[in-house]
Amino acid sequence: MMDADERELFAAGVRAAMERHAGSDVDAALAELGWTDALEVDPRSAVSTLFELQGRARVASRALDDVVLRALGAAVDAGVVLPALGASDPPGTRGPDGVTVRGVASGAGAARTALLVATADHEVHVIATADLEVRPVGGLDPSLGLVEVRGVAAPAQADAGGWTGAVAAGRLALGHEIVGAARSMLELARDHALQRVQFGRPIAMFQAVRHRLAETLVSIEAADAALAAAWDDASPTTALMAKATSGRAARLATRHCQQVLAGIGFTTEHPFQGYLRRVFVLDQLLGSSRGLTAELGRSVLAAGAPPPLLPL
Amino acid sequence: MELDEFRRGLDGWLDAHADELAPPYEGAGALDEQVAQISKVKRLTFDAGWMRWGWPDRVGGFGGSTLLRAYLGEALTTRELVEPGIASLTEVLAPTMIDYARPELAAVMVPRLLCGEENWCQGFSEPGTGSNLGSLTCRAVRADGGWRVTGQKVWTSLAQFADRCVLLTRTGTVESAHRGITALFVDMDAPGITVRPIGSMHGVDEFCEVFFDDVAVPEDRTLGDEGQGWAVAMDILPYERSTALWQRGAYLHRRLEELIAAAPPGAIDAGALGEVTQLVYAFRARSRATQHRLASGGQLGAETSIDKVMLATAEQALFDLVADAMPLQLAVADDPVDRRWRSEYLYSRAATIYGGSAEIQRNIIARRLLGLGDDR
Repeated sequence: MMDADERELFAAGVRAAMERHAGSDVDAALAELGWTDALEVDPRSAVSTLFELQGRARVASRALDDVVLRALGAAVDAGVVLPALGASDPPGTRGPDGVTVRGVASGAGAARTALLVATADHEVHVIATADLEVRPVGGLDPSLGLVEVRGVAAPAQADAGGWTGAVAAGRLALGHEIVGAARSMLELARDHALQRVQFGRPIAMFQAVRHRLAETLVSIEAADAALAAAWDDASPTTALMAKATSGRAARLATRHCQQVLAGIGFTTEHPFQGYLRRVFVLDQLLGSSRGLTAELGRSVLAAGAPPPLLPL
Repeated sequence: MELDEFRRGLDGWLDAHADELAPPYEGAGALDEQVAQISKVKRLTFDAGWMRWGWPDRVGGFGGSTLLRAYLGEALTTRELVEPGIASLTEVLAPTMIDYARPELAAVMVPRLLCGEENWCQGFSEPGTGSNLGSLTCRAVRADGGWRVTGQKVWTSLAQFADRCVLLTRTGTVESAHRGITALFVDMDAPGITVRPIGSMHGVDEFCEVFFDDVAVPEDRTLGDEGQGWAVAMDILPYERSTALWQRGAYLHRRLEELIAAAPPGAIDAGALGEVTQLVYAFRARSRATQHRLASGGQLGAETSIDKVMLATAEQALFDLVADAMPLQLAVADDPVDRRWRSEYLYSRAATIYGGSAEIQRNIIARRLLGLGDDR
């Protein structure tokens, strides 16, 4: 475990890495900082700190690969294929010709010579990247650097299990990243509301504006509380709920902050639109808030009871 | 006493005394039955010691973490032994008495509240003073070495059952706003007090009007100093918006379980259920963190408005789901179980109104937590 000072030092290092570097330089800076060691020593502090800052700075890194690899207990230097955008099922399907792959990966992950692909039976296969087709996702947020991975390939080897836990770990990391991005949107809207003067006063004095921002803060704090409880509880269901709650918070933040930022937030001169793009796509990774929420509802109906809260 | 030990001991005791503790009615019960049930449960748990943990020894408690009493509230609610909204009034009023009453007064009075011997109410709102508490006009004037109170309160929960009232009065000029307010601890059987319950749309007439006609209150019943009433109110409100809500979170969880069990097959939309499940879970997660902050000596303040908004949102979403899944039970059925769903659905409409409206909470969040400055 990191103590409070160590956490602060780690956060300062991550912040500096995020601010100074872009693209693959971030990964080098994080490696220099010892991020994967921190992940080993104190996963909760390391993940919550790094991903919230990554979301705030709207930076892309390969840290999600590291989180998933660690949860899989994989000792290989590989990238990870995640479910296709919008999907939450494993990206691989086993067939007579090998494993059919349809998913996404980080650009840095796909630059590795091997990729890990989970199949529906939750086995995790190691597949040579060269055997698969890899192309940039582009779309709404090209700066996220995602690539699409497709093809049919014979796996080199299979490691059993661990996928459910890896998905849960990834969802927590993404939840923190989404919360970080939502906090940045709220800060941008707040600063604008205090500076922008209309009718002789800052628009922050108008209740319609204040209440939008207050509601945004409430939903961000709700997501944060769900994330914290999911770390305490460490079950796949709580991680699912935390990711879905974060995604919904970001959707609300996008709507309210866009409205408060009004014209300037619609331009490419303002950073807001970058966050809108980022949270929209992050919400589609490892299951969307809408899809996960329906999945949760079905499992609650099947179980006949909502998941218990961990005790006081 | 550690929480785990308390939890095990209490759970075992509640199991062993289940028959004795059980309410004598089916469904929600009438209001006077609910109040009598709470008094009974408080007496039994106080006599067995459980009710005394988490309260300081100078008011008859055994000391220990406030988490102990939070767990007691949760356990009583989960087992449906008490109506949580009424039962949590203790959690709202006792801490303020401990902080602001003269120590001798708190030592005598608080144990009576804890052991179920007495009920107390909270006289804050007035006909002209809803959200704007600083404008209250119920007047207390100095007389015969004490106070004489004249004026009116409204929305005073359970005043018809109350032995005492934590009352906010105007002792300065009206222009002095929040500075000219003094809190008094008033005997409800004092001459000059008239209580009139208000018919409420959910069929439980727990809210009252209370009229004060030249009511004498002794000097030693002043809570805090003259003019300190605003501080008393500001001390109470975070409790009302946080620790008392832990019990309500347990109630929402319980009712969500019961909805899933009661709704006809296929009646519950999976997506809506998933969202309500998350809202209730996130609220309970937030409330749990607040309980731990209080237990470790943290001061509660404006951030509790977030707890309150989350609760109101989760509660209304849950009962919207009830309305969508069981519309006919709400509309036409009349057995005690369905009447309870109907009453609770209707009561949930007030979740964004009572205890500081949703708008007031958002004003607090905007000013105090987001630093958006004053709105005028």
